Amino acid sequence: MATLKVFSTRGKIHSLIRQGLQPLCASQQIRTNYVHVGQKEEKLEWSPIMDRAATSVFWNELFKGLGICFAMILKEPATINYPFEKGPLSPRFRGEHALRRYPSGEERCIACKLCEAICPAQAITIEAEPRSDGSRRTTRYDIDMTKCIYCGFCQEACPVDAIVEGPNFEYSTETREELLYNKEKLLSNGDKWEPEIAANLQADYLYR
Amino acid sequence: MSLFQKIGNIGKIFRQNGGLVGSYLKLFRTDDLKWGTLVGEDKYGNKYFQNDYYFMGRNRWVEYPLSVGHDYDASQVPPEWHRWLQYIADEPPSQLPLPKRKWMADHTENLSGTERCYVPYSTTRPKVEAWVPPKNNL
Repeated sequence: MATLKVFSTRGKIHSLIRQGLQPLCASQQIRTNYVHVGQKEEKLEWSPIMDRAATSVFWNELFKGLGICFAMILKEPATINYPFEKGPLSPRFRGEHALRRYPSGEERCIACKLCEAICPAQAITIEAEPRSDGSRRTTRYDIDMTKCIYCGFCQEACPVDAIVEGPNFEYSTETREELLYNKEKLLSNGDKWEPEIAANLQADYLYR
Repeated sequence: MSLFQKIGNIGKIFRQNGGLVGSYLKLFRTDDLKWGTLVGEDKYGNKYFQNDYYFMGRNRWVEYPLSVGHDYDASQVPPEWHRWLQYIADEPPSQLPLPKRKWMADHTENLSGTERCYVPYSTTRPKVEAWVPPKNNL
């Protein structure tokens, strides 16, 4: 009986202490503004019951979802329709490599091999010989595009702007060997893309 | 953009894409129906359109010629127009033509998988050549 008494008086004493201490503790917080985030109890009066029954019988939620679907059809899509529309590209974009020519048609590369030396992936192989007119030119300029990491160091290293990474990135191939570019392929890339490459270099000349 | 303007745009789209049948065929081919002004056409038959009503990335687009059928490919866009289509430049080459030299080659699409695809070969003589035994001194 004595223990029961202690328990029953404990609550009273506790509330007494709290009330006595409250004015002393100025920073004590009392939170009363609660939001119930759990599942709400369903009301069991007739009108909410009828509402719930109508919702399930007339497929309200299904039609709401269909309405949202229809609204999304009319909305402008956030994606681009790729082969017809394309995303923005920088003039500094580093895509497929190309060997450029001077406006006279003379190839620029003088076989200094700086690009071969700086290439961190060691994707470039160069062999050089003097040409019949005595000028030094490459006989082999191979880039293994499967090794290339497109860092752009080769075009940074090139003293004559011969090797550049052009703006083309649509050169995916069906076989691996088609990505082992030789000099002829790189020169023909340059001949094809030169209008755009030259214009992109021109657009960026202040920063080079 | 009010609802009436949107309905008006639908009318414009149908008129520009050639009526109901033309719009259906265009939708079948490109998965999209749009209206815009014709900016230019290149020598391969690609037509380029622009309409700044759409947001950037969708406001310039290309229509590949019907001659390529459903084998249209993004690499069929020549470099001059590629520059405009990918938003590197704002002026299309019909306004501001890029310089042309006589050694420049014609554009080709990505030929991988066709008979004319690139096959790598060595551009130098081999360093080690096989010995061919002499035949006539038996």
